[in-house]
Amino acid sequence: MAEIKGFIKTSMVDWDGKVTSVIFLPNCNFRCPMCHNYELILNPSKYQSISISDIKRYLEMHSDFIDGVVITGGEPTIHKGLGSLIKQFKDMGFQIKLDTNGSFPNVIKNLVERELVDYVAMDIKAPLTDGKYKKVAGIDVEISRIRESVDYLMKSGIEYEFRTTVVPTLHTEGDIIEIAREIEGAKKFVLQKFEPKNAMDERLRKLKPHDASYLRQLAEKCKCFVSKIKVRA
Amino acid sequence: MIRLRDDGYRPGREEYIKEDVTDFSLFVRTSNEEIHKWDRNKITEALLRETDISEDAAVIVAKEVEKLVFNLNLEDVTAPLIRELTNAKLIEYGLEHIRKQHTRLGVPLYDVRKIILNQNKENANVPHGPEATNLTLAERIKKEFALIEVFSHDVADAHMRGDIHLHDLGMIDRPYCSGQNIEYVKKFGLNLPNAISIAKPAKHPEVLIEQVIKFSAALQGHFAGAIGWDAFNIFLAPYLVGVDDRRMKQLAQILVYEFAQQAVARGGQSIFSDINIYWECPKHFEDVPAIGPGGKFTGNTYADYVEEAQKFALALFDVYYEGDAQGRPFFFPKPNVHLTEKFFKTEGYDDFLYKISEVASEKGNTYYIFDRGDTAKISECCRLAFQLREEDLEDAKEPWKMRYSAMQNVTINLPRIAYEAKGDDTRLFEILRDRMELAARAHLQKKAFIEKLLNMGKKGPLALLAMDLDGEPYYRLHRATYLIGMLGLNEMVQSHVGEELHESDYAYLFGLKVIAFMKKVADELGEKYNLHMPLEQTPAESTAYRLAMLDMKYYPLQASAVVKGNKKRGEIYYTNSTYLNISAPIDPIERVKKEGVFHPLIEAGAITHIWLGEARPDPESIASFVTKTFKNTQNAQITFSPEFTSCLDCNRTSRGLMDRCPYCNSSNVEGITRVTGFFSKISSWNKGKIGELRDRRRESSLGV
Repeated sequence: MAEIKGFIKTSMVDWDGKVTSVIFLPNCNFRCPMCHNYELILNPSKYQSISISDIKRYLEMHSDFIDGVVITGGEPTIHKGLGSLIKQFKDMGFQIKLDTNGSFPNVIKNLVERELVDYVAMDIKAPLTDGKYKKVAGIDVEISRIRESVDYLMKSGIEYEFRTTVVPTLHTEGDIIEIAREIEGAKKFVLQKFEPKNAMDERLRKLKPHDASYLRQLAEKCKCFVSKIKVRA
Repeated sequence: MIRLRDDGYRPGREEYIKEDVTDFSLFVRTSNEEIHKWDRNKITEALLRETDISEDAAVIVAKEVEKLVFNLNLEDVTAPLIRELTNAKLIEYGLEHIRKQHTRLGVPLYDVRKIILNQNKENANVPHGPEATNLTLAERIKKEFALIEVFSHDVADAHMRGDIHLHDLGMIDRPYCSGQNIEYVKKFGLNLPNAISIAKPAKHPEVLIEQVIKFSAALQGHFAGAIGWDAFNIFLAPYLVGVDDRRMKQLAQILVYEFAQQAVARGGQSIFSDINIYWECPKHFEDVPAIGPGGKFTGNTYADYVEEAQKFALALFDVYYEGDAQGRPFFFPKPNVHLTEKFFKTEGYDDFLYKISEVASEKGNTYYIFDRGDTAKISECCRLAFQLREEDLEDAKEPWKMRYSAMQNVTINLPRIAYEAKGDDTRLFEILRDRMELAARAHLQKKAFIEKLLNMGKKGPLALLAMDLDGEPYYRLHRATYLIGMLGLNEMVQSHVGEELHESDYAYLFGLKVIAFMKKVADELGEKYNLHMPLEQTPAESTAYRLAMLDMKYYPLQASAVVKGNKKRGEIYYTNSTYLNISAPIDPIERVKKEGVFHPLIEAGAITHIWLGEARPDPESIASFVTKTFKNTQNAQITFSPEFTSCLDCNRTSRGLMDRCPYCNSSNVEGITRVTGFFSKISSWNKGKIGELRDRRRESSLGV
């Protein structure tokens, strides 16, 4: 089973409307230059593993506050035994949110069908073309698998959001609108502000971030494609 | 015969036989901007006028001083120097009590220069300017006056040693703070003693708001601390019938901007103001006849105006959400939203909760006040709460009568008690009781002094508080409360049992035992002296630093083991009141629960801060957290505190504290966050609070 490398006891930023605890799993198949958890994917041994029983004890004690557990990383879906890890929290009565890059559609399907997740937040790194995706994901990505995850989530009936971290120099305005068009009909699309200071690629750390107002304008332009759009600044 | 030493009248003593003046070409520069020829009799006269000295002794002392001065071969001397030389002679003759009566209060040249040229760091709400300098200078002298004249020797010494801290000594001639509602202004208009013009009750909401703000400014001149307005939107509502959305927003803007920009008032300070907001009509105002335009009863009750009250509350939070012209949070007035059992049953509460939580996330202004069960309170200041007792709820039928005040706040230095008890439990509680006894006596002494000023009535310095428009003086002395605060429970426990509050159950329970004991003793002393003495969490903006510094001086070994902050840089502090260590890895849920257990014992105000840093939580998640705090904990009050960097070049405001503006890279930036309760610019903070700021554990710093 995957080692747990990070635990945030209380979070009010990871699942809209809910008070959650967040669990970080190590490693990732992507190498996004703007990644801000890159130490967790490059040097996971730097972090001490956290015992699941400690986490469960905490969750048990504060179940009067905590609605759900967020599974994030790294990329959770690359780990074998993800389902049984989640099941332990699910059995305690917590709702589960999964953060994923969507490159393992079968894992997502499996978790949804076993009713182990209640919410999926999937990153759309770039418009769904090989060249553009590679630039932002940092590796060659099989676009068809991303597409499959998108299509699956939109049909599955589960709660979900697609989200894009908007990075100056990596994305143009047109790219973001194109993403919105590609997920046309989606329930929720979130534009996230890029925070330069912790980016994996040093060159990005010196960038000026977008204004919240720029992101809000961009959101206006994408609004017509999706049911709900949100800016997370 | 015992003479009153402050009435200046000494029957018969003016008639003493003046001696011939020695002709001597020495000139004296007096405090009245005059230069007089030397006259020894002036010394004698001053001694006889100001002290209980005998005539013979006065004459002898004056002669001795003259001899001293002559031998010095001076060309001219100042009156203050002569006074000090006289004092030195008095000491020589063993006339210590006479010397004390003959004390000169004042400020050294060096200090005045510093005060005029440098920023005051004791209170971050005091900007730097001529008005602020006046305030600082006046406070210096009044503080000395208080310690010599108002308080007994033992109480004054305990303050100076740092056993206890008497707050706002520089404002010794006023009570501490005031909580009331706008009904007084609605009913009586603005009819202040010594005013040049008198205004009738307002007919329009704009005018009412202006009158309330002017009245707040007048009250600020008569209280040391906060001016709080109860159920503001409920009482404003009868003026808002038929007001459309646009005007409603403008009214809210008038209110916020007028309060926020009053930094032109006394001492260049903003009015430390609070407005209490209810979504529902509080139970105790439901059947109260409403006062409307022109100060007349409308024939309806306040329950009939809930719709208008709600619209105003929504408009008000729109204004807070936008912030000022540069998107910065408003520092004042602080909005305190009361969450009650009825709140959660009132239609639309969830939308309102979302809205105020949006403000909490975006700008941080919202204070969430939890009034569980039948509790009702008026909140103000950093955390102060006046809990309404039975007789107060009786007053609620005629709400203009609801005028509450805390006379004074005295803080007990808890860590020092642990140092003195040397590990002995019994001794620790004994000393604590003694210190509280001292605090109670300090309260009695301040009460006696203020009572004397109030009794001078309309001709006295507190004429405004003595004004009587409704059958009793505005200041209702018999209803005043006397606060007992505490500082550094965490360090006391750490020193006494070896672990901090959050480090073991034993330490935590011991902390609870200390506060429960304090409550019991405060109640007992209250009974004994007939004072209502609730506990309050002292905001301790400068006290946390001052007492830590004093303990480092007097108890260096013990204090340096527990004091927080950075000793090398001198940025040290004690943890405020009953807080858990602010740098410890305690997540918000644990903090809200654990700190909340103390809150029911601290009737006059307790709060938990959740320091957000740059994190911007989802408003709905905040709403959920707040609802659970109401339902699942005993916590009395919480607030979410973000940090901002405001750029003075490009005028943009960003989240988090940074050395440079992330937009234009300018280093000409100002950091803004909460100091104890209110927002302020970090550049105005004292060293102790800077140390605390560095230590604050922010929710954004959690995790990987």
